Amino acid sequence: MPIIPVNGLSLHAQEMNPAGGRTVVLIHGLFSNLAVYYFHIAPLLAQHHHVVMYDLRSHGLSQSVTTGYGLDTMADDFLALLDACGLNEVDVVGYSFGGLVALNCAIRFPNRVGKVAVIDAPDPADQRARDIIDIYSREFLENYLTNVADTTRMRMGKRQFEKNHRKYTFLFHQTSIKADMLADEHFLSEAPLGRIASCLLLYGRSSNCLHTGYALRERIGNARLKILEGDHNLPVQQPEQVGRALSEFLTPLPIAHG
Amino acid sequence: MDYVASTQSTSLDKSTIFNQLKAFITEVIGEEFIEDLDITPQSSFTKDLEMDSIEIVAFSEKVKAHFGSHIDFTGWLSNMDLDELIALNLQDIMTYIAHAHYSG
Repeated sequence: MPIIPVNGLSLHAQEMNPAGGRTVVLIHGLFSNLAVYYFHIAPLLAQHHHVVMYDLRSHGLSQSVTTGYGLDTMADDFLALLDACGLNEVDVVGYSFGGLVALNCAIRFPNRVGKVAVIDAPDPADQRARDIIDIYSREFLENYLTNVADTTRMRMGKRQFEKNHRKYTFLFHQTSIKADMLADEHFLSEAPLGRIASCLLLYGRSSNCLHTGYALRERIGNARLKILEGDHNLPVQQPEQVGRALSEFLTPLPIAHG
Repeated sequence: MDYVASTQSTSLDKSTIFNQLKAFITEVIGEEFIEDLDITPQSSFTKDLEMDSIEIVAFSEKVKAHFGSHIDFTGWLSNMDLDELIALNLQDIMTYIAHAHYSG
């Protein structure tokens, strides 16, 4: 690590506690990066696990490319990363869009993925994210930052504004991201989610994605839904609670002797 | 991959640490942006230096690679809540590294 050649591009990855137990791979959401895990959730999980986190293509410090934003290509990147790192079987955690990637990885690679934890994944049939791509502009970003309550409390200065504007302009206007999102719109209704053996669903009580948590619980069958206080920014708002819930799910209980 | 050799030095004064941290910040956010910044020990990462979370990750990895494995830099950061991370400045890190180095 931290720059790994995968599927013809370079992905940025970080690991913690390489000598730890079973490997957990953490997948972030669209327009985010691995930092959503790095400062709190990953160190907490690394107390018992080998933790690997990576930036999706065109996100964070990974290479920017014009294609491959669909769930299948993202899962291919994941598998190639496992191979490049010599990881045979892992558990997976995915946040938001990364949760959909995690579910797809579990369905497509059942011999490589054990437990799956999904944090506040949206329903890709919801067209609101795609609508933003159509109307995005510099003014949209300025207006969003000024008027929309930012529950992560991170403020953006001039350099960061320009950096983000460049990134969004590239993603929205120069890549296949919208067409790829549209192609995955029926993922939740069409994917064989019932094949997933062990799944934790973590959702924010105030999240506009909560209804997807209930739907996933029905579709997956034996999934457990845990609702925490917060909205879609749950990992930033409640990193300790999210980390603890993940740790309880991923860490087997010790066997009692005597 | 960026490679930074681990320090073999046994004495770490704060000005040495400050200059090293400043060099890491320059590597992470780029020379062209550094010219507009007055980096001091009181500079905060998010407000004054305008570093975003992935830049702080890159900075943290450089600190870990340079100052050695006996400094649990990520573990130290993980004990901070969001407000503390936002308020974090270079002085805080210099104090932590100097203390961890001498007690490690």
